Amino acid sequence: MNSAMTFRSALAAFLLSAVSATGAFAQDRIAVLTHAPVAAAEVPADAIVVNIDKMKYDVPELTVQAGDTVYWVNKEVMPHNVAFKKGIVGDGDFRGEMLKKDQAYAITFNEAGDFEYFCTPHPFMRGKVIVE
Amino acid sequence: MAALPRESTPGYLRLLGAGLTCSVLALGAAQAQTGTEPAEDADAAAAAAADGQTHGQRAAAEAAAALAAGEADEPVILKAPAPDTRRVYVQDPAHFAAVTQQYVIDGASGRVLGMTDGGFLPHPLAAEDGSFFAQVSSVWSRIARGDREDYVEVFDSETLRPIADIAIPDDAQRFLVGTYQWMNALTPDNKTLLYYQFSPAPAVGVVDLEEQKFDRLLDVPDCYHIFPASPTVFYMNCRDGSLARVDFAGGETEVTNTEVFHTEEELLINHPAFSLRSGRLVWPTYTGKIFQMDLTEEGVNFRPPFEALTEAERADDWRPGGWQQTAYHRPSDRIYLLVDQRDEWRHKTASRFVVVMNAATGERIDMLELGHEIDSINVSQDAEPLLYGLSSGSRTLHIYDAASGQELRSVDQLGRGPQILMTHDMGA
Ligand SMILES: [Cu+2]
Repeated sequence: MNSAMTFRSALAAFLLSAVSATGAFAQDRIAVLTHAPVAAAEVPADAIVVNIDKMKYDVPELTVQAGDTVYWVNKEVMPHNVAFKKGIVGDGDFRGEMLKKDQAYAITFNEAGDFEYFCTPHPFMRGKVIVE
Repeated sequence: MAALPRESTPGYLRLLGAGLTCSVLALGAAQAQTGTEPAEDADAAAAAAADGQTHGQRAAAEAAAALAAGEADEPVILKAPAPDTRRVYVQDPAHFAAVTQQYVIDGASGRVLGMTDGGFLPHPLAAEDGSFFAQVSSVWSRIARGDREDYVEVFDSETLRPIADIAIPDDAQRFLVGTYQWMNALTPDNKTLLYYQFSPAPAVGVVDLEEQKFDRLLDVPDCYHIFPASPTVFYMNCRDGSLARVDFAGGETEVTNTEVFHTEEELLINHPAFSLRSGRLVWPTYTGKIFQMDLTEEGVNFRPPFEALTEAERADDWRPGGWQQTAYHRPSDRIYLLVDQRDEWRHKTASRFVVVMNAATGERIDMLELGHEIDSINVSQDAEPLLYGLSSGSRTLHIYDAASGQELRSVDQLGRGPQILMTHDMGA
């Protein structure tokens, strides 16, 4: 086992343990498992995924159920993130960490509603999660 | 702008002026720098040029004569002469410094008439009729950190006193960027100021200058720059290669897109020229291909594009380059473009030449050699225009006869990195 694998395994263990302890990063309507991006390889096989490539979110409009977790995976070297304007997921705005190539970021949507998001440095990149 | 109060010089400023016990000679020098009465100034400048005296020498002689004649030294706060087509504003973004300055210069005499202070990357604006000038600016409670405040400031053209200070709300903050001449604009009736917001989403802020208040933020598509065509219609340049027409009359925002007018490989520069009076937009690419559009409230007429540089010149590495690289002279329908021989990716370095073109035919009229490393150009909008060439590196404004390209005069010590040239188009 090389050191990278060790790191990944440890991260996966942390993610699993963190699933029920979302309070630390909870907004009013969403929860993030960890603010740090994770390796794309750690995204569960059955996860709901939005890939980011060629300056676009590949599923610009995604419908999920309340309680679902959405993973965004950056497929290109241009860094991207997921951000919400003020009042969308809480009183303030929310800005996810920047993802490098093959990094992922997960957000759990706790309430029904429409959640429009964008990429902080590329405001022309927009998407929406519809939670039923 | 009748709604903006015009105050007279308050008493405390007069007292401050009177309290300064400067010598006659020093006062003379101060007058040379700021000017006294417009008519006298123009004559004086001509006389100074004729007898070979500098402004400073002439002021010294006048002061010595006044002293010899027993005239008393009575320090006062001066007014700038009334604005004319040859007044030019030089904005100094100062290489991203937290505070900045703008120089108000008489192009005819090459004298600094006054100055205004600004915050971080302020955007300067000038009413075409000369009735006022303004800026959109940003300051922080602790110089470069702490609470941010964006605001619009309107200045009286002669006293240079702020006659309006309009707060921009925190959730409508402006785009902080290297100053692009048309990222903000005044509507042709001078009643509204429009500024751009990049993040969190493309938007245009509407500031009501008549009521002196922030109006609202307009949602716009992924488009940049603002070119007003009427009091309630403006155009923007969009990522998809089209222009957007935005109509914000009656509290609504209606957006429509034109046809795509350029390809992804045709890179339009950040400094197009635009005439608010005629609606002409002149937009070069990195290679010097010139796109022109006539913007009206109703729509856009795209003119056939042409090349500013010949095939031979392009093969020999001639390309546009600098900061404010494009100027348009409305009365003569001429285009001026900064060019030089350069590598493709040195498009922001200074240039030493200006190509002059007939905007109607695309025909080259002249290629002027500037004799200096020039970053920005503009022209006065009078019948015999002055060509302004600004060097950020040497912080000097060079003033040329636009017809012959002959350098007439220059003004130096213009801050730390002056970049933007702005004039009043006062003609009918
Ligand atoms: Cu992005």
